[in-house]
Amino acid sequence: MKKISVFLVLVCWCFSSLAQTVTDSIQYLDEVVLSDTKLRAYTSGVKVRVLNDSVLANNAQSLTGLLAFNSNLYFKENGYGMVSSPSFRGTNASQTAVIWNGININSQLTGQTDFNTINVNNFSDVTVRSGGGSVQYGSGAIGGSIHLNNKLLFENHFENKFQVSFGSFNTKQTSFNSSYGSNEISINAGVSYINSDNDYKYLGTNKVNENGQYNNVNFNFNLGYFVSNKDVLKMYHQTFIGDRHFSGTVSTPSKSGYEDENYRTMLEWSRIANKYTSKLKVASLQEQFRYFENKEKSNYSFGKVNTYLVNYNLNLKVSNKLQFKTVLDYNKYKGSGSSFGSPEREAFSATLLMNHKATNKIVYNLNVRKDFTSGFTSPFVFAVDAGYTVNKFYEVKLNASKNYRVPTFNDLYWNPGGNLNLVPESSYQVDLGHQFTHKHFNVKLNSYYINTSDLIQWQPNTSGIWSPKNVAKVNSYGAELEFETRFHFKAHHFNITSHYSYTVSENIETKKQLIYVPFYKANLAVAYSCKKFSVYYQYLYNGNVFTTTDNLRGRFYSLEAYAVSNIGFNYSVLKTKKQQLKAGVLIKNIYNKNYQNVAFRPMPNRNFNIQLYYQF
Amino acid sequence: MWHLDQCLTGILTFNYIINFKKQTSIMKKIILSIFTLSLFVLSCSNDDDAVVLPLGDYENGILVSCEGGPSSISFISNDFMTTENQIYFNVNNEELGVYLQSVGFNDSDAYIVTDNANTINVVNRYTFEKKTTITTGLSTPRYIAFLNGKGYVTNWGEGGVASDDFIAVVDLATNTVESTIAVGEGPEQILAVGNKLFVSHKGGYGSNNIVTVINTATNDVATITVNDNPDEMVINNAGDLVVLCSGAVQYDASWNVIGNTDGSIVKINVSDNSIISNFNFANGVHPGLMAYNNGALYYVSANKVYTMGDASTSLPTSSIIDLTASYAYGLSVNNNKLYVADASFSAQSELVVYDLSSKTITNTFPVGLGASKIYFNN
Repeated sequence: MKKISVFLVLVCWCFSSLAQTVTDSIQYLDEVVLSDTKLRAYTSGVKVRVLNDSVLANNAQSLTGLLAFNSNLYFKENGYGMVSSPSFRGTNASQTAVIWNGININSQLTGQTDFNTINVNNFSDVTVRSGGGSVQYGSGAIGGSIHLNNKLLFENHFENKFQVSFGSFNTKQTSFNSSYGSNEISINAGVSYINSDNDYKYLGTNKVNENGQYNNVNFNFNLGYFVSNKDVLKMYHQTFIGDRHFSGTVSTPSKSGYEDENYRTMLEWSRIANKYTSKLKVASLQEQFRYFENKEKSNYSFGKVNTYLVNYNLNLKVSNKLQFKTVLDYNKYKGSGSSFGSPEREAFSATLLMNHKATNKIVYNLNVRKDFTSGFTSPFVFAVDAGYTVNKFYEVKLNASKNYRVPTFNDLYWNPGGNLNLVPESSYQVDLGHQFTHKHFNVKLNSYYINTSDLIQWQPNTSGIWSPKNVAKVNSYGAELEFETRFHFKAHHFNITSHYSYTVSENIETKKQLIYVPFYKANLAVAYSCKKFSVYYQYLYNGNVFTTTDNLRGRFYSLEAYAVSNIGFNYSVLKTKKQQLKAGVLIKNIYNKNYQNVAFRPMPNRNFNIQLYYQF
Repeated sequence: MWHLDQCLTGILTFNYIINFKKQTSIMKKIILSIFTLSLFVLSCSNDDDAVVLPLGDYENGILVSCEGGPSSISFISNDFMTTENQIYFNVNNEELGVYLQSVGFNDSDAYIVTDNANTINVVNRYTFEKKTTITTGLSTPRYIAFLNGKGYVTNWGEGGVASDDFIAVVDLATNTVESTIAVGEGPEQILAVGNKLFVSHKGGYGSNNIVTVINTATNDVATITVNDNPDEMVINNAGDLVVLCSGAVQYDASWNVIGNTDGSIVKINVSDNSIISNFNFANGVHPGLMAYNNGALYYVSANKVYTMGDASTSLPTSSIIDLTASYAYGLSVNNNKLYVADASFSAQSELVVYDLSSKTITNTFPVGLGASKIYFNN
């Protein structure tokens, strides 16, 4: 008996150390391949979903579409292709952080990222991290964060992808990506361009989406080079240049135009040793826009912010079970614009993350961060999360955190109205998740509670000047379900994913649901493939939302629920080891539904798109 | 799908309501004609018994124009018993667009001026049935005045461009813009007095300090310099033009506040355009709203209501009402009642009614988003 127990202990130990080496090497690989490793290594108790290239390929037209149909996020879009804002768990767009290779890229002007200024084509994966993440990702990560990652593969390969599509409303899109790698060097570069008249019919009227045309070009260049066995130099760059006309509403046409440019460059030096990894990052981000009230005229208003960033982080492995990461981060923001002169702001933060495998079943993280920002005091924030592996099929994830969102340049400096007395929005949240993993399916069930105070809202004061104030307190709670299954019968492959969310987000004082937060949202994506042929179907249901704060129902106060579906077909014309040629057709809004997700701004009628995809 | 059914039911109910409304209005017309006949008969015998029938659902009441968005118009009957929001949509089954700036009244017509939509919707002011829409010749239209068969509409052009502002001249017979008169930056309110038009130039997105006078008989255009940001105008019982200038906040190139110009109430002689008097407010005080009724002028400054008579030789020093409005955006006075539009742009606004004898709130009514102007449709 004794012998048996000793044997068992030995076996367990062997297995666990074997598992340990596997995790270690995965982590080592992550350190090399990714810029943002804390997204993988310090998230034991957090719900994370990675959307990889196959999902990205079927949703290449827009990041909004990708996430609306493949995650729990809710979007509102001011008409197709126009400003698009995400919302996690009943929070708003400025409470959603967008992270580009580990760096927060939310606009310093508006506090949010317009999801129609991000091109899906040039990223290796898009990761959705639900729940508060201000310790790791800073301001704005209250509801959750969206991560746009470029991977650098250090293995011999040379791969090119060329994609071209043509569709309704004279929509043309083309992209080219090239990736080269060896043991020492890794390069990938991509360019994509889209141009659309976007003049879709407003169903049920004789009007069309006038003045909705847009085009944008996106350029990415990423490079990694092993200077020595332990030192990797990396460079990441992204350029986005967009030119849009802003379409009006169904009853008020618009003449306006909007040009925006984003340039993001980051240099990184990683030193990867056995016990520690250190990374030094230097980055420069530039965002600017020009708004033309009448695009025929030459007068415009503009805004511009340059961000300079230095970030040093050190990951220290004390043992196989315990590791620490410290992050020091300095940002300088220099703004200028028609409405706010040229203000500047500085921010410094210190972060400490601890990851501990307490037992084979329990892994937890303790994280703290303090920001020092010129002009106002940022709160001390923390996050605790833990994952408990009950058995092979079932894991419990729990996290609690304090998060914040700093006022934007517009909030502080906009004239007239800017308010220098604002304090950051702050928020507490807890999130309990259950994960069931099986060979053929996995299910994630999460419930959360978020309490946000000092919510910044713009309101007219008694003399009619609109000014932001820390006014509202909000309670958000709800449940999310994510389901995925993969199976096949012989050559018939199926992949089904579905998301459902129930969200209550109410103003504590008025007890009213916030505007543009649907109680219910659901989606379903079914992909089927057989040999050379594949088909995918996407369905999205958005429950009704209130458009005014008094929670009245009706045309002037709320938007009806809608369901919209897309279907796509792909056929592999040619497939060899070295090359692949695929042709596809995508039909969006197949049932020709008349729907709006922002009041009085109709979305497109049924529309078609044909695609050619060549990989060599 | 349950929500589809619900949606369909909604639409069906809605159509039913529209049809019902149409039917009732047809019924009303028939009843009206029968009554008119009988009235004719009756009136021969006894004048005192004459019953005046309403000309439409929205006669004898208060109209509140609401900027939105979405823009809408609310109705409250004079006896406060009937209220209805979104009357233009209810009657015509279409939205007005944004942002409803003002409504002008000419005989039985109401001209609904919507600035960003660059339209004027012409409706019967009592039934609110649409007659036509003026869609060409307007560029950020603001206010309309009527004189000798013509409508005169102030237009900003682009709010930030000083050289594209004009008055559009509308032929009221055809409801089309027939010509334009170029004026200075940011023409706002417009009043017709005799053969003259008086235009206050608030300045569009910027600031201006003139009142333009257009003599429609001679087409002469003159300007009167006043304090900064002239906006609200009335003709008092003495026949003088009274203009409320809000004064301006001054900024440097980096948008730091460096000072204020004085607001004022200026009285202008309409026959020779001379300034009769100009009462300056204290520096930094920026009054916003003004109304006139029965020999008394009312204005709002720092959320307080002040009043002064035609003969006053100085500004009042004490207020008569402390408003509770979070944003007083419209003011009107009628029949010893003072009406304030307390505007909200994220929820329903409120029309607040004060009794001018007791200075207390007697009624409040929920109205559309961004409630701004209050008109009496009698």
